[in-house]
Amino acid sequence: MEFDFSPVITYFPTLLKGVGATLLIGLVVALMSIIGGQIVAVISLYTRKVVNWPLRFLIWLFMTTPLLLQLYFLYFGLGQWILIPAIAVGVLGLGFHYMAYNADIFIATIKSVSSGQYEASRSLGFGHLATLFYIILPQAFHRAIPQLGNNMIIMVKDISVLSAIGIAELVYLSQYAISVTFRPFEFYITIAVIYYLINLLMETGQSWIERRAAARR
Amino acid sequence: MDINLMIEITPLLAKAAWVTIEISARALFFGFFIASALVALRTARILPVRWLARSYISVVRGTPYFVQLLLVFYGGPAIGLRLDPFTCGVVVGAFNIGAYMSEAIRGAIESVDSGQSEASRSLGFGRFATLRHIILPQSAGLMIRSIGVLAIILVKNSSLVSIISVVELTYQAQRLIGSTYKPLEVFALSALMYIVILYAVMGIVEFLYRRATRYTYL
Repeated sequence: MEFDFSPVITYFPTLLKGVGATLLIGLVVALMSIIGGQIVAVISLYTRKVVNWPLRFLIWLFMTTPLLLQLYFLYFGLGQWILIPAIAVGVLGLGFHYMAYNADIFIATIKSVSSGQYEASRSLGFGHLATLFYIILPQAFHRAIPQLGNNMIIMVKDISVLSAIGIAELVYLSQYAISVTFRPFEFYITIAVIYYLINLLMETGQSWIERRAAARR
Repeated sequence: MDINLMIEITPLLAKAAWVTIEISARALFFGFFIASALVALRTARILPVRWLARSYISVVRGTPYFVQLLLVFYGGPAIGLRLDPFTCGVVVGAFNIGAYMSEAIRGAIESVDSGQSEASRSLGFGRFATLRHIILPQSAGLMIRSIGVLAIILVKNSSLVSIISVVELTYQAQRLIGSTYKPLEVFALSALMYIVILYAVMGIVEFLYRRATRYTYL
């Protein structure tokens, strides 16, 4: 057993491209799942059963089945009826998956805002929607920040799964490099280190955001 | 919906679902021992040992399970580690969940008020006896609940083992989608099986939780 990291250095630009793709996908999915999760949570809490029951069923379905199964269904399954590019399937699949998890958090934090807040705001003359947007949701979002951060850290790690449906992110591009150089160990170790660094960065960012959020209370 | 097809593929998926259960159960079993060892190492007297355990937990939690799986399965032979796919799934699953579980166990133990162990030590209980008779009974409830959450994550993560060609539920589902061209039926059936497994896990956790907290008054 001897290690040769020179192919890793040769293919480092390819890996960097992968890191870029991973981070870009992560950003899009984060925005989509947080904004979407907020919308889903509001709809499932404040509408009639006819609307929110199917929505809750979808949240439940996304949370009880594995991500990879959902991706296979979307990619190999829906592809028979409509043609969607792999990257769209990946981003949408991951986005919906984490949208369900984030919606679940938002539902809990919206419920945790005391009903006195709602009553006080209504008695001060705010309408129902205005109360929701200016009083309830900001407080609920504030309380959701730590858990949202945890979810997003988990999400970035799950981007690696997208390589299974052929999306050119970090792991997929390294697999390409491995198929040329036959150095799986060196490349996967490098990938692990890169992911660990991304993770460290995100954890630092999370605690920074949490401190800022706490200071603004 | 093609009911006949669904009946036809049920035995195939059920067999694959059993592999999912087997791989998760074994990983959970070995993971528990790894986690206990890590908890012990984290409180060891020797500093480098503590430091090693902490960095192991940090690295495992900081890298994707998917990459760990690929590293051990495809990169393992380079350092003389040749595992068949099923064993590789169990081993990586156990070492992965062990790191998460050690945090769960530590959290449950630390949730017990420190006055409890101080009182117990001053009454003449030894370190081990304090843990066995005072701390663990009080932290068991929380510990079982958090390990239950991890068991559910483990079952869902086991789908990733399909990437190293273990024929478990997700692998079989993907193959059936490809051969039958009936994605909705296959997805519905395999999703149902995952849901049944998850609810069974939740039922067991709830049963153990009630047993463990029989004599605790809160």
